[in-house]
Order: sequence, then structure tokens, then C-alpha cells
Amino acid sequence: MDFTIRAATLEDCKDIARMILELAEYEKVSDQVKITQRDLEQDGFSKNPFFHGIIAEVPEQHRTKEGHSKVGYALYFFSYSSWKGRAVYMEDLYVMPEFRGKGIGKALMSKVAQLGLAAGCTQLNFAVLDWNKASLDFYMSQGCFDVTADLGYHCMRCEGEQLERLAQP
Amino acid sequence: MNFTIRAARQDDCKDISRMIMELAIYEKMPDQVKISHEELERDGFSSNPFFECLVAEVHEEDKTKDGHTVVGYALYFYTYSTWKGRSVFMEDLYVMPEFRGKGIGKGLMSKVAKEGKEKQCARLQLTVLDWNTPSLDFYVAKGAHDLTANEGWHFLRFDEEAMANLAKDAP
Repeated sequence: MDFTIRAATLEDCKDIARMILELAEYEKVSDQVKITQRDLEQDGFSKNPFFHGIIAEVPEQHRTKEGHSKVGYALYFFSYSSWKGRAVYMEDLYVMPEFRGKGIGKALMSKVAQLGLAAGCTQLNFAVLDWNKASLDFYMSQGCFDVTADLGYHCMRCEGEQLERLAQP
Repeated sequence: MNFTIRAARQDDCKDISRMIMELAIYEKMPDQVKISHEELERDGFSSNPFFECLVAEVHEEDKTKDGHTVVGYALYFYTYSTWKGRSVFMEDLYVMPEFRGKGIGKGLMSKVAKEGKEKQCARLQLTVLDWNTPSLDFYVAKGAHDLTANEGWHFLRFDEEAMANLAKDAP
């Protein structure tokens, strides 16, 4: 099946929002999604965007029964390692179930890696849930390593009331 | 002891680089540090910087025996959650050992949180090594929860070579 990989535009935000929800459902946390199409438009397409997107699109004849031709996305942003310098973080990678197994996920991720290298990055980082064996296997087969399992790094988060309290002097 | 927390300037990068190495030694991985003050100057002080940095400074009379008055730093950048929107990631928080226990670490971290709130960030995230109990305790006391222990999140990484391999197949 043919597909194209291209940079996301403002007009893609509706489909990205749809697929973000689909991914959240897969991760069993769809009630956690607070972000809207409008947030994506504001935060991804302003002068200093918070993220960049890549879309996988199939030709008209392969669109889903609901009429979608945008069938996958990767969302990434630039980050920094105080040891290695510029890095890229892939926040989401998603392909609609009926379009898996065709190389779309690999193509999206390769594109993020290529864009990261072009920007001078020496690391591509992302997070996976430990029960998500299908994704873990996919990523490991592409050559990454598990920073948490191998080096012992834990991710910590402050939010809500705790964050408010912390922000007081 | 009095101290000030302020935004880092380009000329602080030598001190920041010094302290990055001190932190890497503490984390038992000094051989992993590949960048110097030059990369920090280039990447942190352009019109669209890769990171922001705060430094903690003490007065002349309290300087270290090597003459340093810049005694702590926090390096952070903005990230994005497709569930909650804008977030801030604190890449490093460090205070030189002889200046700990005086509220400098808390001061730096609070300022990062405040900067994040001003940009409407819903979260502040960081990583800690699992054996680093003093730091884990410090962060948990500030209200952080452990996403790896509680929710099963693992960080994965493509390092330089693996990333180049992956990139060569890009359409």
C-alpha cells in the first residue's frame, strides 16, 4: 500500500486530535486527554512552537470507512541533554490499527530521526509503558535501548496542586 | 547564608559546564559528558534556545576556596504532552555539596516551576536514578510522584549510531 510521510500543517490538527484520542484509548487512559484541536493549533503552529508533527497519509482509494486518509502521526520536540547536547523527544507515534504492518510506523520514526540529525541532535528519546510489549518489541528491534531498565532512570512528575505549591517562593 | 537565583547569562556557561561535570561524577557517569561550555553558549542563548538555565549565586565572602560564587544551577526546557499540553522538563538540578541544606535547591526548583506556570505549563517532569535516595526523597517531599514505579513508564533511547541507522531509511 502506498503512503506519504510529510510535515503536519495547521489543517491536520483535527485529525491529529482524533488520533491522539485513539492512542489514549489504546493506552487505556482516554479520560486523561484534556487537550483540544485548538490547543494543538496554537501550540504547534506559532512562532516558537512547543512541538512539530509528521503525518502519514494514504491515497483516496485506501481511506477508512469514515473517510480518513490521514492514518498515522508522530509528534516530537527538541530537548537537551546536559551531557550530549541537542536531542529530540518523540512524544507520540501512532498508526491506526488497520494500517499497521505496512512500514508506516517505521517510516514516521525514521523521519523524526532524520529531522533530528539534521538539527544536530545526537539522541532520540521517548517513553513506553512497561506492559506495552508490542511497542517495546518494535522499538527494541529498531535499535534503541531501555534507559530505565539498563541505567535505572525513573521519570518523576509534579502537577496540579503540588505544582502550584512548588511555584510559590 | 544569602543567595540569589537568576537567569543564566552566556558568560555563566563555564561555571554551568563545571557543575554539569560535578553532577555527572556524583551520578557515577563522568565519561558520558561530551559537551562543553561552547555548546551550552551556542544552544542556550540563541533566539530559539534549546534550553533555559537558572543559576544560584552567593556573595564574594561566601565563595568556595577555588573562588566560585556560582554554586548551583537548574537547566530546563519546554516540552509537550498530547494529553495535557505544555509542560516543563527539568533536565538538571544541582547544588555544590558545601552549599546544600540552605534552601538553594528548593529555590532553583521553585523558580523553574514558576517559569513553567507563567507559560501555562500543566506539569513539571524530571528523571532521577533509582539508587539516588536523597534526591528521590527531596523530589517526593516537593510533591513529585514516580511515574516509572507507579505507572510503568520506561524511557527508551536511540543513541547516535542507532539514530543514524534509523534515519537512513527515512522516506
